[in-house]
Amino acid sequence: MTEVVQNIAQPRVAQPHITVGNLNLWYGEKQALKNISMHIPKNSVTALIGPSGCGKSTFIRCLNRMNDLVKNCRIEGKVLIENKDIYGADVDVVELRKQVGMVFQKPNPFPMSIYDNVAYGPRIHGVNKKDINGVVEGALHSAALWDETSDRLKSPALSLSGGQQQRLCIARTLAVKPRIILFDEPTSALDPISTSRIEDLIMNLKKDYTIVIVTHNMQQAARISDYTGFFFMGELIEFGQTRQIFHSPKEKSTEDYITGRFG
Amino acid sequence: MFNRNYKEKTIESVLFSVSALTVVILLLICLFLFRDSLLLFKETSLLDFLTGKFWYPTSVNRQFGLLPLFFGSLIVTAGAILFAVPLGIASAIYISEIAHPKVADALKPFIEILAGIPSVVFGFFGLVILVPAVQNTFNLPTGQTALTGSIMLGIMALPTIITISEDAISSVPSTIKQGSLALGATRWQTIYKVIVPAALSGISAAVMLGMGRAIGETMTLMMVTGNTAVIPSFPGGILDPVRTMTATIALEMGEVPQGSAHFHALFAVGTVLFTITFLINLIADLIKNRYRFKVD
Repeated sequence: MTEVVQNIAQPRVAQPHITVGNLNLWYGEKQALKNISMHIPKNSVTALIGPSGCGKSTFIRCLNRMNDLVKNCRIEGKVLIENKDIYGADVDVVELRKQVGMVFQKPNPFPMSIYDNVAYGPRIHGVNKKDINGVVEGALHSAALWDETSDRLKSPALSLSGGQQQRLCIARTLAVKPRIILFDEPTSALDPISTSRIEDLIMNLKKDYTIVIVTHNMQQAARISDYTGFFFMGELIEFGQTRQIFHSPKEKSTEDYITGRFG
Repeated sequence: MFNRNYKEKTIESVLFSVSALTVVILLLICLFLFRDSLLLFKETSLLDFLTGKFWYPTSVNRQFGLLPLFFGSLIVTAGAILFAVPLGIASAIYISEIAHPKVADALKPFIEILAGIPSVVFGFFGLVILVPAVQNTFNLPTGQTALTGSIMLGIMALPTIITISEDAISSVPSTIKQGSLALGATRWQTIYKVIVPAALSGISAAVMLGMGRAIGETMTLMMVTGNTAVIPSFPGGILDPVRTMTATIALEMGEVPQGSAHFHALFAVGTVLFTITFLINLIADLIKNRYRFKVD
């Protein structure tokens, strides 16, 4: 794999789960990602930081091909997940998205009951009817939402608070049993208490999942991630263990951003 | 300073009067409609009018039974809805979710033009094209049937149903759509399991408004339904001529002596029609106001 990908940014890790090689992305004429290469390690939290418009959200959306929905979006390069190129001709996007779940910036529960929100994924993927109750309960437990909702599974998801809605969206993603979960600024619309619950949750989830989180909040990256990548103007400037990025960044612009000189 | 204030106030009160005029006109229409209808009940009881099976307004033993006209309107409208709702919703889904934006933009003006065609032109088209077609297809003595009326009305209600459903579907936030796709749902699963249910109250409002349009339609029906005031059988009556409430008023109003019982009976039919459309619009409004998303 490494021979496909040159100049790869790679922290010293045992097992890469996602490998990105020379990824370029254009929205029409405008290049939004420039030659990104990195290994994202398995069962860990990788945070992507950088100022607004640096490409970090665009990048994360390449990992489950959500950019397919954007008109005039053109992608070159390779994204390998478990050694399979997800932009290959034979790739089933539905299958890919089952494996790579995503939690969005704003909580986006479906306008249906709490139960139906979580059961949605298993149902469309043909999970046996009698197994669905168990899957829903398990997912709500893992998303630390079971205690608050077990007595009102039939009430509308939109009656939950913002933080609860976001945990419901996490539960909904877990119910599909992905291997990787992408978080696109999952706490930017939430209050500090809800934020800290979600952060705890993410740290717990890394036992079973590979997690990639885009965040505006550097403290959040420092608190919860094992690895951090710094994006700036469409480029991956630096990528390494979180401790190293925050304590001894190699690049000047990383240091400037982390110390709050811009961004 | 005083001058400007005065001017502002004048403009305000002129605009208020104009808006208030609408309400006054509506109230006056109600008043006259009800007043003239009530005079019928000196001749016939309300019960006889509402449950009467025969509409013989000009025979010696005259009878003013609403049912033949009511069921005439009902069967034509029901047929139109059965025909227009699936087509309308399918078109709305296609335009808002599936069609390339350029195709959607090209289609929309045609739908608006369809809404703007005068009903007499629809009626003429129906009479010349659809009536013989229905007659030949079902081998009937006449092609002027409830079915013919239903098809014409369905076509006429389509623009309302498509436009309002399309609006409801498009107003479902794209974040919800992305949420579904990100869970590995296909586009089609996303449409029928998330988007359409989320837009359902808007779509129901569209159907109600389409129905309101259909039940009040007059000219086209007069031209294609044969105007026979007999209670249609169900469901075979769809292939018989019928007469709707609207067509009855339009056909008979010109020939009835003012102030006669027949005259008042037509007003009473008008009141029933008004009440039905009022209720339909009210229900449509109630459900429509519920569908606005509270997510954002």
